[in-house]
Amino acid sequence: MIRNHWFWHGVLRRCFFFLLVMFVLSIVLFFLARMAPGDPLQSFYGDALEMMSQAEQDAARERLGLDKGMFAQYAYWLLNSLQGDFGISLKYKMPVADVVFPLLGNTLLLGSLAYILVFAFAILLAVFCTLHEEDWLDKTICKVGTAAYYIPAFWLGVVLVLIFSIHLGWLPSSGAYDIGKSEDILNRIQHLILPLVVMIASHLWYYAYMIRNKLLDEVRRDYVLLAKSKGLTRREVVWKHCLRNVAPTIVNIMAISIPHVTGGTIVVEAVFNYPGIGNLAVESAKYHDYNLLMVTTLITGALVFLGSFVAQMINEQIDPRMREAGVIRW
Amino acid sequence: MKQAVLELKDYAVSFFTPEGEVEAVRGVDLSVARGEILCLVGESGCGKSVLCKSLLKLLPSRPPHNATIKQGRVLLEGMDITHYTEKQMRALRGRDVSMIFQDPMLTLNPTIPVGKQIIEAILKHSDMSRAAARERAIEMLELVGIPDPEQRLKLQPHFFSGGMRQRCVIAIALAMRPKLLLADEPTTALDVTVETQILDLLRELRDKTGVSIVFVSHDLGAVARIADRVAVMYAGKIVEIGTAEDIYYRPQHPYTWGLLSALPVFANPEEELYTIPGIPPSLLNPPPGDAFAERNAYALAIDYEKMPPMMRVSDTHYAATWLLDPRAPKVKPPVRLAERSRSWRQKE
Repeated sequence: MIRNHWFWHGVLRRCFFFLLVMFVLSIVLFFLARMAPGDPLQSFYGDALEMMSQAEQDAARERLGLDKGMFAQYAYWLLNSLQGDFGISLKYKMPVADVVFPLLGNTLLLGSLAYILVFAFAILLAVFCTLHEEDWLDKTICKVGTAAYYIPAFWLGVVLVLIFSIHLGWLPSSGAYDIGKSEDILNRIQHLILPLVVMIASHLWYYAYMIRNKLLDEVRRDYVLLAKSKGLTRREVVWKHCLRNVAPTIVNIMAISIPHVTGGTIVVEAVFNYPGIGNLAVESAKYHDYNLLMVTTLITGALVFLGSFVAQMINEQIDPRMREAGVIRW
Repeated sequence: MKQAVLELKDYAVSFFTPEGEVEAVRGVDLSVARGEILCLVGESGCGKSVLCKSLLKLLPSRPPHNATIKQGRVLLEGMDITHYTEKQMRALRGRDVSMIFQDPMLTLNPTIPVGKQIIEAILKHSDMSRAAARERAIEMLELVGIPDPEQRLKLQPHFFSGGMRQRCVIAIALAMRPKLLLADEPTTALDVTVETQILDLLRELRDKTGVSIVFVSHDLGAVARIADRVAVMYAGKIVEIGTAEDIYYRPQHPYTWGLLSALPVFANPEEELYTIPGIPPSLLNPPPGDAFAERNAYALAIDYEKMPPMMRVSDTHYAATWLLDPRAPKVKPPVRLAERSRSWRQKE
């Protein structure tokens, strides 16, 4: 009962913090974007801007709400956003929601699949290396892994396309699905394979190595001696004892790596011409597409916050000592 | 004579490190009878802990340590286990031989409830159902004196005090009723009042379950409380071995004299507490003669050249010192030790 009380207390507290963080993030973003040099009209009119007179430009600014003071603009944006209206994208000339949300699903699918696979493989690989510590298998994996990690994602993507799409013709080279087949799961999976391979190859070793080193510290602890003197095998000791103690660290790494892995989709989306918001985020910053920039960045921010929130909850389940630490007030 | 649970014959363990061979244990002969508590005492680095861990093959056998049994044999109830494979050892560990360690804060897995850690040890070696294993775990916790075991079963180690944790570790070690318990300084990390409780508990458990115990310690005071027999180790060798009375009241080896004189109970309140001068020799190139000669006020010329053999004092009592050779000059042990031994003899 008492635990439940604290649990809901924690959830409420974190919801409040979530709103606070998003609010602060939106302020920082809004003003930073507007303080950056460059003209948003450029993205709206493109080259046509040079042909426009000063009066026409001023009129356009007034129409787009860019003539008012920054604070007024922010208040206007905030009020509308709270009602679900995020404004229009200056580049795409349609509501931001209509630009972002159809593509959001694609990116979330690619990002979360890559994320899950990267960590599943990283843990397997780390445990494998730990069990073979310092013998030739571990050493080989360490060297190959490090080399693979430094292969640039865009280059690997192009090479894979060359081999599997152009020479062998097994897999499609671009897009998220063939035209008219957006509901066809098999077709989607075919399109996901190459991007996923690139994402996994470019992130896997970074995390596997981190977890491997954590595990190697862990197998030197005294409780491993006791576990072994009970008659457990090395494998049982690592899976049942060490991994469990490293789990909070893994969860924390996973939480802070959400932007790292999902950010990795940007390059992959570009190489495979995959319709996602990674590209949008980059373009919106480049073209001063303020409204689009706000939404894409706030989505990333929300993911990061939710990630650490979930990580903390999971860690409290794994190691109750963390729960008590959270309750202390001063 | 009762059958020996553990027998070591000319047992030697070395680490083949990149710097050279470290001779941690150099030819130990030892036997532990059923239900006996044998204490191994000596300074840090004398090889007592290595000896213990090597019996269960828990030492790092891969580079850069390369712990190896260099020579000799280990007999467990007459079975030669010296060259057992890892798989054979796993079957022994926890079932026939268990081990407890120095710091109970570190030897229990911090995130797993203690009950689960005991049950794991039971299920590893028996076909018991989970429920039966749980019952057994509760029994074990009761046996080691943890009140309210059913509730405590679910708690993680951080809910327990140091002494309680060591009791839990003992419960894990004895869960399968092993024949031999290796206790590697199990009370060193505990405070003194808790230490006596744990020592008494080990004695009591020995009486109840008939387990033989090899108790490693550097504390002769603690050892006096539980030892049936005491083996004094120095630089990887046993220098004196005998019953507790032999060692405490009739010590023969100058090193044992030194250790006993360093105990506060023997101290003269007027003087500074006695310490043995110098430090133990490096086992990376141990000296040819008696390793203790350098620090020994009673050292003879031969001590620097030839290792003294084990000399018989009585049927139970042996010491490796040239002082016991008939040709050696008669030396008197330190005054206070001699006094003590005289007063004990009178009592008898």
